[in-house]
Amino acid sequence: MSAQVLDRELDRLEDLWTDGLSDAYREYLGVVKEADGDSQMKLALAAALVEVGVRLQSLGGRAATPPALLMGDLCLARASRLLADAATIAVQVAFARAIETLAADAAAQKQAPPARELLLQALEARS
Amino acid sequence: MIVKRVRFETSAPTEFVDVTDRIREEVQRAGLRTGRVHLQSLHTTLGLAVNENEPLLLRDFEQVLERFAPSGAGYEHDDFSRRIDIALDEPVNGHAHCRQLLLSSFATVLVEEGDLVLGRWQSLFAVELDGPRRRELAVQLDGDFAAPRFSHAPEASDALVELELTRQLLVDPEPVAAPMRRLVEAGGKRLRPKLVQLAAGIGPRQEPLRAASLAAAVELLHNATLIHDDYVDESTHRRGRPTVAAAEGPERAIAVGDYYFAKATRLIAEIGHRRVTSTIAEALEAICASQIDDVALRGAYPGDRESYLRVVRGKTAALFSAACASGALLSEAEPEVVDALRRYGDLIGTAFQMADDMVDFSPTSGKPVGLDIRQRVLSLPLIYAAEDRVVGPEVRRLLAGSLADDDVDRVTELVNVSDALPRVRGEAQALVDEAVREIESVELDGLRPTLISLARSAVNRSY
Repeated sequence: MSAQVLDRELDRLEDLWTDGLSDAYREYLGVVKEADGDSQMKLALAAALVEVGVRLQSLGGRAATPPALLMGDLCLARASRLLADAATIAVQVAFARAIETLAADAAAQKQAPPARELLLQALEARS
Repeated sequence: MIVKRVRFETSAPTEFVDVTDRIREEVQRAGLRTGRVHLQSLHTTLGLAVNENEPLLLRDFEQVLERFAPSGAGYEHDDFSRRIDIALDEPVNGHAHCRQLLLSSFATVLVEEGDLVLGRWQSLFAVELDGPRRRELAVQLDGDFAAPRFSHAPEASDALVELELTRQLLVDPEPVAAPMRRLVEAGGKRLRPKLVQLAAGIGPRQEPLRAASLAAAVELLHNATLIHDDYVDESTHRRGRPTVAAAEGPERAIAVGDYYFAKATRLIAEIGHRRVTSTIAEALEAICASQIDDVALRGAYPGDRESYLRVVRGKTAALFSAACASGALLSEAEPEVVDALRRYGDLIGTAFQMADDMVDFSPTSGKPVGLDIRQRVLSLPLIYAAEDRVVGPEVRRLLAGSLADDDVDRVTELVNVSDALPRVRGEAQALVDEAVREIESVELDGLRPTLISLARSAVNRSY
């Protein structure tokens, strides 16, 4: 994925890039080396968007403000579209299950595993 | 050959009962693709006719019948002293029998592509000549029938989706399942799953269980977005019940929305059709982006038509469109069919939202009047009222302030006296007409009448 494509995928989310999204992206980029060029970057960006999205929504903490919630929703939706483009079904399912775990634990007021841990596992899912 | 009886009641001495839709439904239910419908009146004072359903013309017909055989003109049939074996309830109806001579007791209508072959202005009438009465038509359907398909059995199709929703909600952790179950069980129109199911019946690959799974996932996704919307809009009730945010707090609402967002995307991924997954994912992204725009536009409330349409196409129409396209993709329909249905969904989704906006100004809709105004939700009638030369200045002034109950009532009144509601109704109707045109030229395996009827029902609400 070229820088230009990356820019397009960050449309409306530019402010998040310097607010943790770029760090998370680089972290995930390091573990998706097996995927080919564009897919590597899409998978890493999807994982970073989920991590930042649930953080914005304060899942498990005090309720996010409506604008933060909506921005978090957009992060999750874009991640979902990137995964639809680039991930295997197994990885898509694993990502969804990671979010389900975080959300179900938040609803039950239980301590959830760290999002990054779940997402790193999701990236390694095999069918 | 399928044999039926169509029963109905008339309400006037002379009445033109338009039975076109009833007969069309029988054709659809039977799955008749190409053939004929034969109708026969089972009464000597009930005729059949094919003509135009225009109220003044129908009055002309009545007058012609009256001139031909005036009532009370001294018919021998009505002289009971000269007749034998007359029933106790024998009516005085010589005129009605004579009028029947002008009509026919039989009609045959051709069927092509699963629909009645009627000209633009043609309707099929049962003509009551001696009402009011209970009446019956004998109907025979003859020709080539489609193989039985789930999409042609809407009740079974709907039941399968409900079953799938129940099944999915049974296996989820209770803290997320309970609030979603309340929302799902509270009803809703289920238009999106219906569109998925219908579109999934068009192509050659018919898999009812996969289609039901996709339809249920789309409904869960829709409900997940509603749960977050209700928190953002500070709504206290939805479908007559407290919202998740109001009942259980915003933290729970966010978690439940996220859970079902993820679960729905998982169910769709597990179907294993990449283009279906992408189609829904793109719609979801459009919904979320439009929701952000919607909130941003509330600063310049009530906004303008262009911004309104941009938001509505994302927030509402995107999922209608994706529901249609994904169902068609699942059934491996031809690309031109998928594209036509995608556009059809976009148009009826936009029309649906316009109709929904109008409900906010109706005291008979069953919903609280003026709720959209209080929550500063984008609304086309309000945009048009604010642009109105007469009431516009007052509408804009009221909306610029903090709205007390009296102000909301006044804005509602102003919208009602302006031409905003008829304008919106006209636009919604025009979009439905355009949607119907979109699906005119593609092969829809006999489902065109159902899709047309669904498009019309999207805007025909009780205002």
